[in-house]
Amino acid sequence: MPLIVDEDLCTSCGVCVDRCTMDIIRLNDDGFPYKKYDECWYCGVCEEDCPENALIIDLPFQVK
Amino acid sequence: MELETDILVIGGGSAGSMAAIVAKEQNPDIDVTIIEKAEINRSGSIALGMDALNIVVQPGITTPELYMNSARIATEGILDYKPSYVMAERSYSILKRLEGWGIRFPRDEENKYISLQVHAKGSFLLEMDSPDLKLVLAEKVKEAGVRVINRTIVTKLLVNNEQVIGAMGFNIRTGEFIVCKAKATILANGGCARFSLPNSGYLYGTFDYPGNAGDGYSLAYRAGAQLTGFEFTQCSPLIKDINCPLLYITLTRGAEVVNALGETIDLEYVSTQNMLKELREGKGPIFIKMNHLPEERIQDIERILFTTERPIQKKFWENRGVDFREGLIELGETEYQLCGGHGLTGIVVNEKAETTLKGLYAAGDVACVPLQHLTGAFVFGEVAAEEAVKFVNNNDLGEVDQNLIKDEEQRLLNVMDNNKSGSISVKDFEYKVRRTISDYAIPPKNEIKLKRFLWWLPRFRDDMKDIQVTDHHELSRYEEIQFILDSAELSVHASLAREESRWGWFHHRTDYPEKDDGNWLKHVVLEKGLKSGEVQTLLVDIENGGEH
Ligand SMILES: Cc1cc2nc3c(=O)[nH]c(=O)nc-3n(C[C@H](O)[C@H](O)[C@H](O)COP(=O)(O)OP(=O)(O)OC[C@H]3O[C@@H](n4cnc5c(N)ncnc54)[C@H](O)[C@@H]3O)c2cc1C
Ligand code: SF4
Ligand code: SF4
Repeated sequence: MPLIVDEDLCTSCGVCVDRCTMDIIRLNDDGFPYKKYDECWYCGVCEEDCPENALIIDLPFQVK
Repeated sequence: MELETDILVIGGGSAGSMAAIVAKEQNPDIDVTIIEKAEINRSGSIALGMDALNIVVQPGITTPELYMNSARIATEGILDYKPSYVMAERSYSILKRLEGWGIRFPRDEENKYISLQVHAKGSFLLEMDSPDLKLVLAEKVKEAGVRVINRTIVTKLLVNNEQVIGAMGFNIRTGEFIVCKAKATILANGGCARFSLPNSGYLYGTFDYPGNAGDGYSLAYRAGAQLTGFEFTQCSPLIKDINCPLLYITLTRGAEVVNALGETIDLEYVSTQNMLKELREGKGPIFIKMNHLPEERIQDIERILFTTERPIQKKFWENRGVDFREGLIELGETEYQLCGGHGLTGIVVNEKAETTLKGLYAAGDVACVPLQHLTGAFVFGEVAAEEAVKFVNNNDLGEVDQNLIKDEEQRLLNVMDNNKSGSISVKDFEYKVRRTISDYAIPPKNEIKLKRFLWWLPRFRDDMKDIQVTDHHELSRYEEIQFILDSAELSVHASLAREESRWGWFHHRTDYPEKDDGNWLKHVVLEKGLKSGEVQTLLVDIENGGEH
């Protein structure tokens, strides 16, 4: 259940990390966000608040 | 970090944000601190806004008395008069406050607010157009000059002589231990969303915000406060698998619910219990049907559902290839939860949001003001702040026992040390705890079944030493498992104590299948026994405001 990140658009600003309601996003060594913990509530906040529209969330497989 | 504040607010969601803003409004010189587990701009149940304010008494249209009649029916009599009356009475001023902040409440051609009847006796639910509600609240908190400590989970209240004097916790990223001493403390950290297991098997696929794991119930219980309504384990029929709501928006716009036999289900005031009954009687699956609605209406429904509350629904339907114009929407039973907003569960509070402990107030889903929803969170956020400000003016900071602080810090350090190479992941552990709650603590209930959970409880607590905890994020999940276990323990004791069936299916006991108003029109109140340290249950009369 990945975060789909458009690496051309992402500026590594970290807003998605700051805003995640479940505290599960981190930036990887290249500065791009990934889900460190498999605990997404699919609230949509990260996608909504990304200033670059660089991020899309996928629903967890079990609920999809 | 160690700090002192006048008013500490635990949880910066709907109720907590409102409380902090109003405390500063009352007296800008008062120091106010919010400790929030997530990040205040988007935390809690209203992260992406909300499409209705469920209880608004509009002057000249409805009255608080009419609301009370509805609420008595909806709670089957388990309702204290004063707090709910105060909520109804103050609800219109909440609407006006929100409007003043730019939150839009749509009106019809006659310039009247669009209201929907989901209560027995009147039309109290007002539509609201507010995807940014939480951002607005967070902005007001900031403007008011409130100190906000984000990503910090409170794990214990500081208590001295039955007075709450602050709280302790840690930053879930850095692990920094935090002590906040306070003259008054407001608990506003939600209900227990992670109670039984969702049918999807996915731990976080709950209807309510899963960051609320019964933290507030456990904190209050352990500090010695009284709690009530824990036997009323509640669930809803929502979109199957994903557990997102859509009932009010669709049903009040002409959608119907049909069962597998193609029969339309009678939905008096959107009775969720009627829908769940069809499922239990084997007439499921049940569906929401909208294909008879005009295009305009469908677009209206889509606009609301796909922008506010749980906009993820759009992706969900696209993925499943369902179009509301043709397809049916399958409803399923959500997990069972404990909640003062949607249910009858919470910390005992009076109309001043006072708990039974000095210096501790409670507001929102953590407090028992039955079925209060967002309205109650806002009203009692205001009330708790007003009362806490008065309390602060007359009370100094209590004496803090340094040993309490040392012990809590050491306890957390020990878990980090001892559980590093545990053999069970936090997730597997939580899965089994919640599966066991599903097995034994939810309806249909009976004595033997409920006691099976009590057999498991000490084993779970003991087995927690084997949970693997490798960082502070996982430590917060470990702490939440304790909150879930405490909530379940309280629920099972309350369910055992109430030897009758009440509130439809939600407290159905197969060994006491009848409702017994003669003996059980009472609250089951829980508290920690002073000597035994075990759960004590007491029966308390309903405060009926002089009415019967
Ligand atoms: C999907 C959904 C739709 C809803 N729709 C409506 C509606 O249309 N109309 C309506 O009137 N009501 C609705 N409700 C109900 C309403 O949203 C809630 O009753 C209300 O928001 C509860 O507010 P609260 O402050 O108690 O909880 P929340 O707003 O959830 O806030 C609790 C806060 O406490 C924090 N917290 C939890 N534990 C800790 C801890 N240990 N330490 C520090 N912080 C902690 C959490 O991170 C969270 O921010 C809905 C609820 C949901 C979930
Ligand atoms: S918010 Fe958007 S731009 Fe910023 S780090 Fe996340 S994905 Fe990248
Ligand atoms: S959808 Fe919500 S919970 Fe999931 S990663 Fe994004 S912000 Fe976090």
